[in-house]
Amino acid sequence: MSLLSKGTDAGAVWVDDRLGSSNFVRRSLNKVFPDHWSFMLGEIALFTFIILLLTGTYLSFFYTPSLTEVVYDGSYVPLKGVTMSQAYASTLDISFDVRGGLIMRQIHHWAALLFMASIVVHLMRVYFTGAFRKPRELNWIIGVALLVLGIAEGFAGYSLPDDLLSGTGARIAYSIALSIPVVGTWTAFLVFGGEYPGVAILDRLYSAHILLLPGLILGLITFHMMMIWYQKHTQFAGPGRTEDNVVGSRLFPTYAAKAGGFFMLVFAVLAALGGLAQINPIWLYGPYDASQVSAGSQPDWYVGFLDGSTRLMPNWEIAGFGYTVPLNVMIPTVVLPGILFTLLALYPFLEARFTGDRDYHNLLDRPRDVPVRTAIGAMSITFYLVLMIAGGNDVIASVFHLDIISMSWVLRVSLFVLPPVAYFVTKRACLALQRSDDELVHHGIESGTIRRLPNGEFVEETVPLPAVYRIALTGVESDRPQLEGATAHGEEGKPKGPGYGDQHVVEGAPERVPGFFRAKRRSGPSDTSAPRPEAAMPELERSGKPAPPEQ
Amino acid sequence: MSTPGNTGGQQPSPPTGQTSAQAAGSIRDRLSSPRTSDQASGPGDTRTSDLHENGFQQTDSAAALQGHGRGESQYDSSSPPVATEELAGRKHPLGPEDAKAAERKVAALFLLSFLGVVGFVATFFLVPHEYTSSTRYLYTPLLGTFMALALGGVGAGAVLWAKLLMVDEEAVQERHPFGSDKDERGATAEALKKGLEETGIARRSLLRNTVLLGAGSLALLPVPFLFGLGPYQHKERVLATTAWKKGVRLIRQNGTPVRLGDLSIGSIESVFPDVEHGTKIADSPTLLIRMRPEELQVVEGREDWSIDGHIAYSSVCTHLGCPVKLYEQQTHHLFCPCHQSTFAANDGCKVVFGPAARPLPQLAISLDDEGYFVAQGDYSEAVGPSYWERDT
Repeated sequence: MSLLSKGTDAGAVWVDDRLGSSNFVRRSLNKVFPDHWSFMLGEIALFTFIILLLTGTYLSFFYTPSLTEVVYDGSYVPLKGVTMSQAYASTLDISFDVRGGLIMRQIHHWAALLFMASIVVHLMRVYFTGAFRKPRELNWIIGVALLVLGIAEGFAGYSLPDDLLSGTGARIAYSIALSIPVVGTWTAFLVFGGEYPGVAILDRLYSAHILLLPGLILGLITFHMMMIWYQKHTQFAGPGRTEDNVVGSRLFPTYAAKAGGFFMLVFAVLAALGGLAQINPIWLYGPYDASQVSAGSQPDWYVGFLDGSTRLMPNWEIAGFGYTVPLNVMIPTVVLPGILFTLLALYPFLEARFTGDRDYHNLLDRPRDVPVRTAIGAMSITFYLVLMIAGGNDVIASVFHLDIISMSWVLRVSLFVLPPVAYFVTKRACLALQRSDDELVHHGIESGTIRRLPNGEFVEETVPLPAVYRIALTGVESDRPQLEGATAHGEEGKPKGPGYGDQHVVEGAPERVPGFFRAKRRSGPSDTSAPRPEAAMPELERSGKPAPPEQ
Repeated sequence: MSTPGNTGGQQPSPPTGQTSAQAAGSIRDRLSSPRTSDQASGPGDTRTSDLHENGFQQTDSAAALQGHGRGESQYDSSSPPVATEELAGRKHPLGPEDAKAAERKVAALFLLSFLGVVGFVATFFLVPHEYTSSTRYLYTPLLGTFMALALGGVGAGAVLWAKLLMVDEEAVQERHPFGSDKDERGATAEALKKGLEETGIARRSLLRNTVLLGAGSLALLPVPFLFGLGPYQHKERVLATTAWKKGVRLIRQNGTPVRLGDLSIGSIESVFPDVEHGTKIADSPTLLIRMRPEELQVVEGREDWSIDGHIAYSSVCTHLGCPVKLYEQQTHHLFCPCHQSTFAANDGCKVVFGPAARPLPQLAISLDDEGYFVAQGDYSEAVGPSYWERDT
């Protein structure tokens, strides 16, 4: 122990002599990170990116990005003697001849899927808890950029093996570029170096996949992390947690041990997947051939929604004056994602504009407390899911023996009908949950004890909600103007907070957040009905917590 | 059933570290109570506060919170931006017995990790992985299992260590304001303005205009490189033509030509132009279909484009260029597996369903002197997906 301690001393002195970093290091070690399971989602994205860099580097030692034709002479017997591109042959070599190459390839592919999945789920967490609000709008935009870059990076990687599936994907990308009015043909020719397939695309995708895009992603992730570091992480409301502090464990040792261990666990899950669950068995698909395709071909999941929108689009095309605008391609693959990602990136500003809320927010919202935002989120997810299902409509149709034409029609209708339904249902559910919270805060927990009153009436006793929960439910004055001289947390004296109606809003104080977005807690019939029996119980008042006043 | 009097005073235990509402309240009290020891040791130096954790005062929270919470402005610039953390935790919750058991658990996980590494290395080098060996099915799964054990052991061990044996603390850190105060902002703006003033850019209009022109035109520098990415090509000529020419034979993928009578009724064949690399040219694959002549509804003006129920269409989908290959004999529907566009092969390949907007172009075919199928010429329109310059 003393050796460890001496070594630490010596090391710290050596580094500090040269960098003068002691103060910075100590402050960093003591930095506090709040704890919540949902904060791990972004960590998964970060960790899978590191795993992608590690496995990808190994793969790049063996892969050859060349369309030059070779006759396969590797150890995979069924394809011996087949003419194929060097890219495909080298991917086969990685799978069959390089020791441990297959597991590296499969971990890489699984990690890519998990990377995109964790980004999307992390994005949903940030959205539904309102973590994107001021001052974190910039980090939200960086996150959206990372999402788009991740899709591009994944698509580029998917195209590299030059197997039957990936070649078809590249051809679709070329056709999508062609569909853009005026500049589309130029764009497609410049990207592909001429008419499809050309000879250049694989080298360009490779350079984009291993240098350009990961470089950009790495830079943006660094910036993303620095902003989190500087602005400090958001936290949920709870005892002692305010807008002005951050409560949790310190970076060293607790948080570092947990996060480091979590990285290893993520890696372990990916290793198990890469070893035990086959993914993208390119040797079964065969080399790319422009005249071949297999039924049931699907892109990786994160492109699925675009595939779905393409499948559902009616076959509109405008032609005239010697020009053609293929709306059937352009709208679902260029216009739609353009609109979706623009709206996504601008959402924090749109919401701020609608609510007029320009305050700093360090405490997170519970989704039910912001019914409109939550409902918009549910609506968007429903829209996305319908597109996603449409992307696999041929597989679904064949598995469930459905007619693909009627299924497409059902999905076309669902795309416009289901999202509004989801909006309405979610908003109602949020308001109902708010009222259930109100019930708990106002009347406490049902104790299961039935009591007979002197007049013969039977009532069930309730126990006041413990402060830990009450604070979590009502929030710690997270977004309302604070009264001068009011006590925090509703702990002593008159209780304060959204759960207690609007007593805390001073007369004449501006209501910062209009009711549309953050619907006011409703004073439903249960609040205005006859006083609850527990108000008349002396025992409850003795329990230390005064019963909350009725409206 | 307990008596009413008892339940009134009982608090259900919350699942968090606190055992009751009172405990939670006291933690908050501790968080917010002023602590002379911390202030004495200076901001940032918080490790010493570990020693004083029992010295936290159980003050009445109301006054303390009022002075400490939102009553003070969150963005009060007078408070130092240096982090001041306070500890409100306790030593790890386990007794010496339990701690020993937990230590053994964590150690076992670390050992498991070591075994995983040994297994991984042994598998990597000792298990034959070649396609011809019988163990090839085991190689990758074994590697994955050992790798997962190796990584998962350390990972689970570290997390368990942190959860069971490290100080279960609730540390608090103040947030510092992001916005600078008014004077600071003003001074910064002033410095910027002063710098601009020193350059004299506002006065020297000649310099201003020329620097805008010179530096602005730099944006054009990369443009030639952009155009260098692809050769200049005549769009119409490249996209609207294929390798098919008058008299070019229809060959199969293996290079053999197709003769009248090779196809039985209801069958389909992928054919390619008999030119150099004909089977590799992406826009030329064609489908030759044979059906009963009476089933074929010949499009007006194309009466002599088919021969005895043999009809040829481009197999490049007019939607996004996938190969249209699936043929349903009964309905004569051609089906694109990518986005489910469906074409009626017996009726000019009109679109029956799906996102494709145009029929598959038809290739006019005839027979040469030896009875082999040949093209009468190139497609009469551009094959494949639509593009801006396409003239319908």
